Amino acid sequence: MTAYIIRRLLWLPIILVIVTFFTFAIARFGPGDPLLVVAGQIRDDEVLEQIRADRGLDGNVFEQYQTWLFDAVRGDFGESIQQQGFTVTEILLPKMWISAQLGIIAIITIFGLGIPLGLLAARANGTWVDPFVISTLLFLQAIPVLVVIPPLLWLFATQLDWLPVGGWDGLFDIWWIGGVIAVPIPDPHLYIPLVAFTLPGFAGVARLTRITALEVQKEDYVRTARAKGLSEGRVTFRHVLPNSLLPLVTVIGFALAGVLEGAFFVETLLGIPGIGRFVFQAVGSRDYDVILATTAIFATAFVVMNLVIDIVYGFIDPRIRVGASR
Amino acid sequence: MSGQNRLLAILLSVLAVLVLAVGGLSAVLLLSGSDDNGGPTGVRTGSGNSGDGDGGSSATGRLRLASSDPVTLDPHLTTDATSAEYIVEIFSGLVTIDRDLNLQPDLAEAWDVSADGTVYTFTLREDIFFHTGRRVTADDVAYSINRATSRELQSTVARAFLGDIVGAREHIAGLADDVSGVEVIDERTIRFTLDAPKPFFLAKLTYPTAFVVDQQQIESNPRNWTRKPNGTGPYKLQEWRLGERIVLESNERFYLGEPPLAEVLYTLAGGSALTRFENDDLDVASISINDIDRARDPSSDIGPLYSSWPQFSVSYLAFTTDEPPFDDVNVRRALGLAIDRAKIAEVTFNNMLVPATGILAPGLPGFTPDDKTFPFDPDAAREALAASKYEVQDGRLVGEDGPLPMVITEVGGGAEAAIDTQAFLEQWRTELGLEIEIRQTDFATFLAEQDAGELQMFNGGWIMDYPDPEDILDLKFHSTSELNDLSYENPQVDALLEEARTELDSEVRLDLYREVEQLIVQDAAWLPLYFSQAHVVVNEAVEGWFEPEMVIPRLRFVEVNR
Repeated sequence: MTAYIIRRLLWLPIILVIVTFFTFAIARFGPGDPLLVVAGQIRDDEVLEQIRADRGLDGNVFEQYQTWLFDAVRGDFGESIQQQGFTVTEILLPKMWISAQLGIIAIITIFGLGIPLGLLAARANGTWVDPFVISTLLFLQAIPVLVVIPPLLWLFATQLDWLPVGGWDGLFDIWWIGGVIAVPIPDPHLYIPLVAFTLPGFAGVARLTRITALEVQKEDYVRTARAKGLSEGRVTFRHVLPNSLLPLVTVIGFALAGVLEGAFFVETLLGIPGIGRFVFQAVGSRDYDVILATTAIFATAFVVMNLVIDIVYGFIDPRIRVGASR
Repeated sequence: MSGQNRLLAILLSVLAVLVLAVGGLSAVLLLSGSDDNGGPTGVRTGSGNSGDGDGGSSATGRLRLASSDPVTLDPHLTTDATSAEYIVEIFSGLVTIDRDLNLQPDLAEAWDVSADGTVYTFTLREDIFFHTGRRVTADDVAYSINRATSRELQSTVARAFLGDIVGAREHIAGLADDVSGVEVIDERTIRFTLDAPKPFFLAKLTYPTAFVVDQQQIESNPRNWTRKPNGTGPYKLQEWRLGERIVLESNERFYLGEPPLAEVLYTLAGGSALTRFENDDLDVASISINDIDRARDPSSDIGPLYSSWPQFSVSYLAFTTDEPPFDDVNVRRALGLAIDRAKIAEVTFNNMLVPATGILAPGLPGFTPDDKTFPFDPDAAREALAASKYEVQDGRLVGEDGPLPMVITEVGGGAEAAIDTQAFLEQWRTELGLEIEIRQTDFATFLAEQDAGELQMFNGGWIMDYPDPEDILDLKFHSTSELNDLSYENPQVDALLEEARTELDSEVRLDLYREVEQLIVQDAAWLPLYFSQAHVVVNEAVEGWFEPEMVIPRLRFVEVNR
């Protein structure tokens, strides 16, 4: 097992080098020049040439990549061009942290509600409840985020004045009961982004849960369990649910890796200072160092989550043993 | 029946697990000290006091605005309007521009120009201080000019704004240790010598490149000083949380008196400004085309709060004038005569823009109200096209080597072109029988191709940097200007521009520019399209708000009565 994990981790730097090199090459060979974007309407070609030379933007691409790689290995991801005077790490980490908090809460909500809804649909297979639940969720999935947010804002923020219209103030506020006991309650800025984030997500999880649960219910051991006279709840929890979880682990794993990417529309429409909008702008203004650092971080997240998924598989289903020769 | 109850139990237990998970996560987050939203490396530049209770301050009121992060707060490096809006409040220079766009003394209380117009001697005010309390002297001004033009700083605008000072170009190129034309006479007197009489020199000094910065701060913290810059302007940067907010607080030592606003809060993360305005989270919001009808309706809730303001910004269609078929002035004129801009302004822009009457926007020195652009005249357009050296065949212009490509490039990435481009194409098709192709690129690519002179025809814009026609006419149309990206060359225009550069009589000078403007418009190197307007709603509690034609210090004029 340990040897397997180490072997998998040894691949990480190789994958990272390949991914970042291709990103680097695509960015540099593609059209556009970050200095022109920042320079604005009055520019000075001589000074721009100097900056290119000093920043190493005019050399051979392999040499440039080498420089970037050596700096990156030492933890120096360079400086942003569209946000001067801050290192890439200083800019990215707080934004990723905000996106990750929102994303993790959203994932907990999506799976926390999506799985039971899927089980409910599977249990109710053959009645009207099953298609009703699934089609409702599909309907929600079909509404674009861009359409979901404005009516929510209009109703809950502008008309009822229950919620703020945007912004971000952390996940939790604290209620002090009697000045002694701290009770964390969700911050009001959280609700609308959470709803916008999660509504389209339920359908996928619920349908996956439903379909695997239906498969599992046909298995011999479930029939045996029922035949033994076990209660329906025990059958569902002991036999159906664990065996339905396997494909969900993959989905959860990748969803978790994806939270670092943020969500462009939700962040932009609701004024959440997350990573999604910033990376979008970085690509638009050819902010190379920001693009490369985010690519490296996303790639790491996916490689690591892949490994975690494989390991978790082994715990959930003893039939799959990582490390064993397959 | 009991099956249903069990399902309910399942759902409830899942919910319980969910709540536990959320609780657990929150505990972790609380333990990790997330009392605010900054995360592990949030940039906190606040001094710690919340602005209350620092006795002696007479400023009251808090203004809430929406903006975005500045690219930089280093005045000598800035080139964009967003950064400049903060910089003109935090820093200041020798001279500034007031609400009526007149030059006013700022750090300097007076100046004297030699008879030949090449030597400017400034006398500084006596009571000028940095935010930290250190007195500003002529040495600080000299340091700032030398820093802005140093080779190490690599400012892309230093040559444009300070290059008229003797020795500045050498200093920018790294050939001199300092700018020889800057002389400190005494603590309160500084002298600039120019390479020639430059009537627009004072106007250029109002741009942030000439602002005063604190040598001690920069040398003690060269990398990070802009996170809490020490300036001389009416407001101090109290807090900057990247991507979240910027807070300015009034500078009680400001030499023109403490500004009336105690605090200005900028939220930086985006979101719908108008919705936040209506929710009373913002004091000023700009109006988009989707809301303009409501804003203009005096009986609507936001109607009474709405106002619109002219801007020093012109949009245009430009041509590379040395490549067929747009090397023929008749072709360019025909295209100009065939578009009905008034109708497009009304139909597609809901009159949020005004059709341009020339290159110089209303209010600029040299502006004349008469319309110098081509009117919408389809017959004249067809005549102009017939007079060209090219023939129209199957919607294309044909030269000696066969049909010529005609491509208009615009910034965009959607499934369809900008709505005004579509209107132009339709009018060229119906009035002239010409089929012109649209090509879309992203902004960075567009700039690179524009810089390389590769765009045959494009939709562009120019925002004035200082209120002088030189800023647009000389920079964009002189045949030797680096910024002339159209290969436009007219010896008469060059001669007039050169004459205007050194003409000291202001009226004569502006007449020269008027003549230049007329010539360029007739040459149809640019087809001026629209002048911009700012459309805003402002909270009733805010007094004195205005949208200036260009970036100028304005927060010193604004009050909030709340």
